[in-house]
Amino acid sequence: MTTPGRPRISLLGTSALLFEAPGAFDLPHQRRIWALAAAASRWPGIREAIPGITNLMLTFETPPRELDGLIAALNDGWDAAEGLAIGGREIRLPVNYGGEVGSSLQSVADHCGLSVDDVVSIHAAPLYTVFALGSHPGYCYLGGMDPRITMPRRQIPLQRSAGGSVSIGGSQTGVSASPGPSGWHAIGHTSWTFFDPSWPSPAALAPGDTIRFEIKQVIR
Amino acid sequence: MIEILSVTGPASVQDLGRFDQYRFGIGTAGAMDDVALRAGNILLGNDENAAGIEIPMVPFRLRFDRDMAFALTGAGVEAEIDGRVIPPWWRSHARAGDLLDIKAMPRGARLYLTVGGGIDVPMVLGSRSTQFRGEFGGLHGRPLQPGDILPCTASAATIGELGVEPAEITLARPNTAADETIVRVVIAGEYDGFDAATQALFWSSSWKITPQSNRYGYRLQGPAVKPRVPIEKRSHGIVPGVIQIPPNGQPIIQMRDAQTSGGYPKIATVIRADLWRVGQARLGSKLRFEQTAYAEALAAEAEMSAYIERLRTIVRLIEEIRTCRSS
Amino acid sequence: MPIKLTDIARLAQILERSGVDTIEIEEPGQSLKLVVDTGPRMAASPTPAAPAADHSVIAKADVAGHFLAAHPWRDKPFVAPGQHIQAGAIVGLVKIGLLYAPIVAPAAGTVDAVIAEPGATVGYGTPIVRIRPPSGSSPIN
Repeated sequence: MTTPGRPRISLLGTSALLFEAPGAFDLPHQRRIWALAAAASRWPGIREAIPGITNLMLTFETPPRELDGLIAALNDGWDAAEGLAIGGREIRLPVNYGGEVGSSLQSVADHCGLSVDDVVSIHAAPLYTVFALGSHPGYCYLGGMDPRITMPRRQIPLQRSAGGSVSIGGSQTGVSASPGPSGWHAIGHTSWTFFDPSWPSPAALAPGDTIRFEIKQVIR
Repeated sequence: MIEILSVTGPASVQDLGRFDQYRFGIGTAGAMDDVALRAGNILLGNDENAAGIEIPMVPFRLRFDRDMAFALTGAGVEAEIDGRVIPPWWRSHARAGDLLDIKAMPRGARLYLTVGGGIDVPMVLGSRSTQFRGEFGGLHGRPLQPGDILPCTASAATIGELGVEPAEITLARPNTAADETIVRVVIAGEYDGFDAATQALFWSSSWKITPQSNRYGYRLQGPAVKPRVPIEKRSHGIVPGVIQIPPNGQPIIQMRDAQTSGGYPKIATVIRADLWRVGQARLGSKLRFEQTAYAEALAAEAEMSAYIERLRTIVRLIEEIRTCRSS
Repeated sequence: MPIKLTDIARLAQILERSGVDTIEIEEPGQSLKLVVDTGPRMAASPTPAAPAADHSVIAKADVAGHFLAAHPWRDKPFVAPGQHIQAGAIVGLVKIGLLYAPIVAPAAGTVDAVIAEPGATVGYGTPIVRIRPPSGSSPIN
């Protein structure tokens, strides 16, 4: 079940199945996940195919009686998956780094042995790709952060972190769409709207879209 | 319409949930005890998915502003309508101006108030359930407050009083001690990351439900259950019922308002047919896990469907008998 | 209106699927009793009405099933002798399959006696509770 180099497939009760791809947390692997998701969402009995970070959750419309067929289809699908290059939109997102919302900016700098300005410029440099949506409505998991500003998640999550928080959690970064608890470190704030249930597609961003953070100001 | 007069704790409008929006980061929300919500709707001749009010704490008071049928299911409560005592799991009829007073909740954790026709809040993304994070669905996406007016599609038809045997009695699990809830679980992805002794501890322990338990998740207290080596997963989708083990070794059962993804190791998942039992387990009470195979979990779901079907049929039978008599 | 054969057939079908073994319908001039044949069972014998004080009123079952004096989640029975009740008050339940049908007081008064035994099989019209109306309306007491 856990052969190295092979995917891991496990059950989430009778509601869903989780497929975890082997290999690195990078765009080529994620593109294969997107391809597998696109295929699996059309399989009979599957309600939704939900990409995570180099993994895929399939929720069941009707739980299959036998799982062997589905497991084989996932394994075959992964092997056959050509990376799906989604030509997403590019969003430029003005960010106020630091300040009240981004109050962890200094501690990230301290943890990484960098100056605040370095953290900001390193964070704002890459073109990030939306790998997946999840956690809470409209939240995007981004890939492409420079590992120099990696900081482990909080031991104890904050009860409430502001909507629009730009945060670092481990080697990932993301922007929260609404206020709520968070185990990540907020380094800045954006006032962009990521989610509105009245939109035809309620989330502003989709996997494959790209984000470039623009330094609006750095508040110390 | 219904006017909320007083509320204790986060009462909210819920239907069975929002099941096909995970790809936007939207969880299911929905009734924590879906069996009770369904039973109430069946008693009233509603669609089983009609929205009701989930009431987790008392006292709770409201006023009906016109004649309508209603039902109370779920937790065992001391309740009165216009001064008359309402038995548990009961359908009754309110007249315009009647006051419904929920005074105490000696049993269970969540009461469901359903009304003939359902609570008529707008359908948002396929459901009327309140989604707190993101603030939509239900009534303005938030818990109910005194002064709130809830629209109802209620029909004015009078129906007689009728009760249902509480699901806790009909669907009782064998060998359940008082003040203990036993739920069946299917092992999950990281189960093998725990050594045999730790796995045994997970099964044998009676887990205390801490006060930090709510619609988001149930945090349990007991012996520390930790994997052989710390496990941190890449963020992946999770569903209500998933039991995560955070670094302190104290399990968290994800519930209806849980985040849609997580990275803590998962030891098991509560099966869908038993998740309502968790939703009715009281803070401070004990919870025990019983391992079950996937095929058995499917059989348990089939049994649940059969129970619901049996309930629907017998309610229809009683209505038919009453119709024959009055015709 | 006479009960039609098609009604009976439909009721019988529902009955079979509902897990209930007996139903009774009674109207002036006709009565219907449907019993699902599930092997030997005790015949549903209506308890003969206790000789009632002249002015007593009787709360009767209106469906066949088992009499419950208390809700299973409640320690106390719905009514006890000596208790004053209003017209329409619930004095007990008839358990029919998964359902509890209420037995209601036809008039206000004081509970004289709970006639039916808890758990007993009752039928349509079985007397359950004897109620003594307020003394003003009763020349005997």
